[in-house]
Parts: sequence; structure tokens; C-alpha cells
Amino acid sequence: MSKSRPTILICDDSLLVRKKMRDCLNEYGEFDIIEASSGQSSIELFKQHDPDLVFLDIVMPDKNGIDALKEMMAVKKDVKVVMLSSSGTRSHLKAAMEAGAHDFIQKPWEKSQIEHIIRNIF
Amino acid sequence: MFSQYFGNYLLNRGIIKPEQLTDALEYQRSVHLKLGVIAVNAGYMTPAQVEEIHNMQKKVDKRFGELAIEKGYITGQQLEEMLATQRQGHLMLGQALIDRGHLTIEQLQKALDEYKNEYGMSTRQFNVVRKDDSQEIEQIFRDYGEALLGKMYSDYVTLLMKNLIRFVDDNPTIEINQFKSDLTAQWFVSQEIFGKINMLTAIACDKDVFVKFAARFAQEEITEPDELAQASVGEFLNLHNGIFLVNMSNNGVELEMNPQQVEKNRTLANPGKAYVITCNMTWGKFDVILV
Repeated sequence: MSKSRPTILICDDSLLVRKKMRDCLNEYGEFDIIEASSGQSSIELFKQHDPDLVFLDIVMPDKNGIDALKEMMAVKKDVKVVMLSSSGTRSHLKAAMEAGAHDFIQKPWEKSQIEHIIRNIF
Repeated sequence: MFSQYFGNYLLNRGIIKPEQLTDALEYQRSVHLKLGVIAVNAGYMTPAQVEEIHNMQKKVDKRFGELAIEKGYITGQQLEEMLATQRQGHLMLGQALIDRGHLTIEQLQKALDEYKNEYGMSTRQFNVVRKDDSQEIEQIFRDYGEALLGKMYSDYVTLLMKNLIRFVDDNPTIEINQFKSDLTAQWFVSQEIFGKINMLTAIACDKDVFVKFAARFAQEEITEPDELAQASVGEFLNLHNGIFLVNMSNNGVELEMNPQQVEKNRTLANPGKAYVITCNMTWGKFDVILV
């Protein structure tokens, strides 16, 4: 499947977080954005859309973000996954880095942090 | 008390690379926190003074603290304080990064200063409410007989006050009571914390307060307890609990949490030992439950 614009997948069980992130990314006007509200659905959408960047929450229903990250990395080793979680504990940070996360942003995030990520990747 | 894990801060600012963080986190378990790092963190000594003492130690068989006092860099009382410093997570990680050659002590000092400035929830901010609240909160739990968990509960409630100020109201006040009877709430948002300590946390309120709470936290126009309102109050609890977990992690206690749940017309039977923190906002009041 060929893509005309880069695709970003937002995975978070909170509608509010997804909305705020989508609003922020839409300001660039250059991305196709897809959303998942659980760990399992994030894997399915990941396989279906082959996104260029993933923002991934950790505490989610049915599959946590660390397990979802591992599955994504198994499908595409060089995918850029940025963890986006309120729970930036030592163990979560360590697990995410070991599993191959590109970065880890602790909520509440700021636009400048997203800008930094976008500028580095695209 | 910090709202972001120090390692995360270093990574986000590009001060260290992911592989350096992974390496230091692994090494951190066996790290020995040195007085030089504690002294720099406390602002008692500069990195240059620490290096000077380290160089002196190569020639003289004396301890770091002893030499630092002799040179007049610290007092005996400051040394006592430094020796009593607990295994603070951000310092342990800092020491690991130095030991592994990923940062110099000068770079650590600069990063620590910026980190505290940006992410340390200062007592100054908390003083907006009342000067001695955190001590009073601790005393309340002690009076309720919470010898073991009292500190954790008081940390949780102190952080709650800070987050209420930070996100939803300039001037909240709280009352802490023991749970004495069944509680029924029109809207009930809960989240379980588990690990070495298990705790159910919840926000209980009526519809009007629920909608106002949601609108303030989301900074969106919300007029009904719809899906966005539920996500907003849920996200506040999730955010607060997440920061609490980060604080606990910084103190060496790793905890996990489940996704938050939102329920309508929920009755919570008196669970025995539990606390109700009634939060009085300028726009209404709600209860935070700790079981």
C-alpha cells in the first residue's frame, strides 16, 4: 500500500488524550492520523496501516503499551515508537528503552515536546 | 517530590542517549552513592570543589567528609545531613551515569539544577494553600493509627493538593476523614494501584461537579457527562496516580496501575479501613477515596 503522506498512529485509552494529540498533529497539516483505544487494537491498526510514527500509552485495557511495543518491533524493527504515559517510572522507562522505544514522554506533554519529536523524525 | 522521573528528563532533553540510559538503569542497582554527588545536589559544594577533594584523597588517607570540613566547604551539620540522605532515585541514577562515564559531575549538576527548576514541585507552590499542610496531613494519618502506610497516604494527599492547584483550581481546601458508612455517587472514577502496596483510588461526585471538573481539566467546552467528560476526569486521576508512581519510583518503590474505570450511580460499601478526602473547590466539592 503506497502512502502519499506520513501516517501517525496514536494509541491511548483516553478520548481526551487522543483528541488533544490529534489537534496538535493536525496543526502541521501534513499527516494522516489514526487512533487506537486499546493495546490490542493498536497492534491491529499498526499491521494494517504501517505507520511512520507511533505515540503509545502504557497503561491500557487488554494489552499494556510495553507488550504492544514489543509486538510492533517484531513486525517492523526500525519503527519509531514514542511512549506517552503518566507513569514514567524507572521500571517502565527501562522496559520501554530495552524494547526499543525511540523516546519516552511523560504526561502531561507539551506541544514543544511533540514538535521536537516531529522535527527529529520527519 | 518530582513530577517527572530524572532519567526521562535527561532523555527528553537529549542530555543522554537511550543506550546510555539503559546502561545506567541496569548499573544503578549496584551503585554506591558518593558524598560528592550529594553535596553538589544539596548546593553545598561546586563540582570543582568535589574534584579537588577527590584529588586530595589520592594523596591523603582521609574520608571525603573529613577533608571537605577541613577545607571549610561544608559544616559538620551539613555532613550529618548528607550522610542521612536516603537513596533518592534521581541521585542514584546520576551517580550511575557518572560511574559509567556518560556524564561528568559538572554536567550532572547543570542537569540537576534545570530538572529541579522545571520539574520539582516546590513547596513555594504548595504554600499558596497553607504553609504547613504537608506536615498536618502526615499528622492526621498518624492520628488515625497509620504507622506503616501513613507516609505514603500523606504523600498521596499532598501531591493531590498540588495537582488540584496545577490543573483545576487555584485555591482548593481538603478535609480528611475515615470512611464510616456506605458511599453512593452519581459519578465514580476509580483506578487500582498495585505492587508492594495495593490501593484503590477513586473520585466520587455528582453530575454538576463532574461536568465542571471535566471542563476545567480538559480546557474544553463540556456541558454533559459525555464520553469526553468521562475521559477528562479519568485522565486527571490517571495523571495524578502516574505522578504518584513516579515519586514512589524515585524513592525506590516500583508500583503499577490498572486502567481507570468510570461508573455511573455506584455505591461503595464501607470497606473498613479507608479514607475520604473531601476536596472543596471554588466551583463545587467532590470526594477522593483511598482504600
